[in-house]
Amino acid sequence: MSSIKEKFNQISPSEFFYRNRDLAGFSNPTRSLYTAVREFVENSLDACDQKGIFPDVHMSIKAVDSEKPDPKPYILTVKDNGPGIESKHVPLAFGTVLYGSKFGLKQARGMFGLGATMAILYGQITTNKPVFVKSSTDGKIQDEFELLLDIQKNKPVILKHTTKEVTKRGLSVSICLEGDYAKAGSKIKDYVYETSLITPYATITFDDPKGEKFHYSKIVNEMPPAPTIIRPHAHGIDVETIRRMMVESQFEIPTIDDAMVEKVRKDLGLGKKNLAFTGIMDKAKKRWKTLSRPVRVVIALMSFLKMDFDKLNKIRIEDIDVSNKKLFYWDFGDSQSKSVEMDSESPYYKQLTGTIQGETLTTFLTKRFQRIGPTTAVKFAEFAGFKPEKRMGSMTNQELVKLSESLQKFEDFLSPDPSCLAPLGEEPLEKGIKKFFKPDFCEVIQRPASAYSGFPFIVEMGIAYGGEIRPGGPHVYRYANRIPLLYDEGSDVVLKVVNDSDWTRYKIKGDPPFVIVTHICSTRIPYKTVGKENVADRPEIERELRLGLQFLSRKLAAYMSKRGQAEMAKKRANLYAKYIPLIAQFSTELSGKTKEPNYKKMLEEELIVDDKQS
Amino acid sequence: MTTNKAKDRKLKTNEKQKSIIDALKMHGAKVYDDLENGQFPKFSIPSRSVSNIVYDKKIRQYILGNSAALRSSRNSSQLRSFTQLMWLAFFANRLTQEKKSSTLRDVYYSSQAFDIEFEDQSESDNIIVDLEAILSKPREDFHIFPEERSSIFGDLNIEYTIPGYEGKTMNLSNHPDGYAIGPSLTTAELLDTSAEIVIAIEKGGLFTRFVEEQVDKKFKSIIINTGGQAPRSTRTLLKRLHDEMGLPVIVLTDGDVYGEHIAMVIKSGSANAAHLRDLTVPDAKWVGVWATDIEKFKLPTIPMTESDIKRCHDLQSDPRYQEGIWKKELDVFLKIKRKAELEAFSKYGLTNITEKYLPQKLELAKSL
Repeated sequence: MSSIKEKFNQISPSEFFYRNRDLAGFSNPTRSLYTAVREFVENSLDACDQKGIFPDVHMSIKAVDSEKPDPKPYILTVKDNGPGIESKHVPLAFGTVLYGSKFGLKQARGMFGLGATMAILYGQITTNKPVFVKSSTDGKIQDEFELLLDIQKNKPVILKHTTKEVTKRGLSVSICLEGDYAKAGSKIKDYVYETSLITPYATITFDDPKGEKFHYSKIVNEMPPAPTIIRPHAHGIDVETIRRMMVESQFEIPTIDDAMVEKVRKDLGLGKKNLAFTGIMDKAKKRWKTLSRPVRVVIALMSFLKMDFDKLNKIRIEDIDVSNKKLFYWDFGDSQSKSVEMDSESPYYKQLTGTIQGETLTTFLTKRFQRIGPTTAVKFAEFAGFKPEKRMGSMTNQELVKLSESLQKFEDFLSPDPSCLAPLGEEPLEKGIKKFFKPDFCEVIQRPASAYSGFPFIVEMGIAYGGEIRPGGPHVYRYANRIPLLYDEGSDVVLKVVNDSDWTRYKIKGDPPFVIVTHICSTRIPYKTVGKENVADRPEIERELRLGLQFLSRKLAAYMSKRGQAEMAKKRANLYAKYIPLIAQFSTELSGKTKEPNYKKMLEEELIVDDKQS
Repeated sequence: MTTNKAKDRKLKTNEKQKSIIDALKMHGAKVYDDLENGQFPKFSIPSRSVSNIVYDKKIRQYILGNSAALRSSRNSSQLRSFTQLMWLAFFANRLTQEKKSSTLRDVYYSSQAFDIEFEDQSESDNIIVDLEAILSKPREDFHIFPEERSSIFGDLNIEYTIPGYEGKTMNLSNHPDGYAIGPSLTTAELLDTSAEIVIAIEKGGLFTRFVEEQVDKKFKSIIINTGGQAPRSTRTLLKRLHDEMGLPVIVLTDGDVYGEHIAMVIKSGSANAAHLRDLTVPDAKWVGVWATDIEKFKLPTIPMTESDIKRCHDLQSDPRYQEGIWKKELDVFLKIKRKAELEAFSKYGLTNITEKYLPQKLELAKSL
């Protein structure tokens, strides 16, 4: 048992991911090249989004030896105008796995910054070349690194570090990796194209290995508001998360070292004076309200130990047994464990137990979760069968499980706060669609925020018809957190909803030229697979998609019937123009007249009426 | 006397032509005025749907009821057929003015010279019927004729009215094969005849036999081959012979339900032509071959087909088959479920029909 455990402990995160790189999308040269592109581009966009910078991302892929057949080594460079990364963080950010700034609960394209490191790792494995990172946070000095990853130790190896003066801020990452552009090319081009649609505030450029340049300029001049970091929602929590949150809620018993003693003396305003135990207690009582929690804890301990600072220096607190009201400590002088009784009536006793057992349930809920007020917290405690003042630290394992289950089941929590979400917004989405597809008709909708399993989400949708859209629709463009989902369409919830639609009901027939764009924003997109290509059909998400699509379909139907009327009117006008002159000609001869009747005015009036109708 | 009569007739023909031209001009002027006033012109066309076809006991034929359909050039789905109709009126006007004749097929092709499209001939035929209905005149009146297949033989003098032949006369017993009943004959003046009866016969073979056996002379008759269901030009001629020359008309057909109905159409028209008058000879008599004749004359028979039987049932619900020999013979046909052709008499010799059967029937006709 123990030996296996030891082995597990020896695997660094780098090695773990190296062994399981398929999971992260680095299974073969085609897929790896595509995934690497995605990870770097998304990192750049995320970085700019967070700082409110209009992203200007330049990506290039160059073959090391263009004569060689695929798969072969490529140099992938992604350069942005983002905030850059501080010099001291660069080696860790790019040279270790699980280093990142995206741990908070808010919407972002990627999580934890894992993917970029995976790409670097993959590049290093396949080509044994270092990663080149150039970063400038101030637009004046740029740090340039050449890094390798020590897989076993999960540590960066800095091969070279130089600085140079620049005029632009931003980050540039360049790796060498084995890829298959012949196969991945169309996928990458699709990715860039579709990304620029959902990021209309960004400029994206792509130089492909064949010398082709794809440039998508920004088409809107407003950034969507950046998401804020928020506390989790009670419905989206599990036992493990509660455990981790509890650790934060508890206060360590402060280590009573010289620095601590110095702090206590200072807070009590003792200066160099040496006071006896009772003197210290008196001073503490007077200043209690101004004292910090760690200082209060030390004073409380001293009150039971009845020791002054000198004596305190010679012991170490071992345990505080709240139930037996006993305080254990190690006496360095006697080299043995001793204990004192604690008076539960003493106000200091409460201070200690509070420290040991952490926050009460109600405080824990109101302070650490979103959208729970004191009233709801008390109501929940009753629902779950806990006393509201139950200390979190006194919970047994079983009680924690019960708490976690009750949190999931309790229905009176307000729905999750969507302020952590960053939908694109109706206007930019509409502009993007119009610019990209040049349709005759376009309509967008942003559904109100909803939630599944405690995770808030917002569905945005757009529908476009006619114009330059190719026939054979609906063409569905799926996005999640501003990432295009290009593959595994079949099992996706969006496709399911779209396919359920009876388009003939909306006056759409034949081989229609139309496009549907969907964007799901959430703190956690329920992907079906690790490949992040299709969204699972959670009923809540499916419902929002359905309602959104119905709304848009109705708008489209209204447009279609208008369009139909206009087409009919045009057709009719053409018929008139064709036949009325003939009728005039025949009637002239029949009636024995020589001059044709003046029917032109009639035709013109007809056209005017039709124009008004359409 | 004769010249006066001829003058009268000529006048009558001219009047008929004038009335058609006037009617066409009236419709054309209405359309012209509508266009001039910025209005979409329209026609009211008597409805020819089954629900609007009723039997008029008084005049003893099917006629159209009061409902009419409006065909408006405003309505884009009617605009095309409106234009077609307008063109046809225009075309009919030219035909009539120039005294030229045309066939249904001709019309279909002529339209193409004026950028008027007809999907097929049945579409143009339909438009022709529309114009007939609007004018209440058969298409022959505006010089559109069907293909000719019926013929006439007998002592009848006629005078042509068609261009190039005006004033020319002809005796219709000059040529033993008979004369085709076409536009020139239908529009000709009927001058005089020694005949006392018209015998319409369904089949060309029997017509030839009758001519050979000099039925025209023996029975003082004019023989007409209807060629199956009598074409309208033939029916027009039959009516004229009856009305203008005062000749009774008898009809001789095969001994089956179709034959019976051929006689009925000559007598009282068809539902298809309910929009037209002056095509019927209400006094015409069907003299055979009756169902009862089959047994009486011991004729060789053939069994009725299913469609024959169905036709019998159909006609049983026709108001004209509710009495007299029409009902009686129909019932017998249904009972014996057998039929006999005119040629069946040949079993008893080629002249049996003219020497034995016909005299009996002519005698009988007087009492019908």
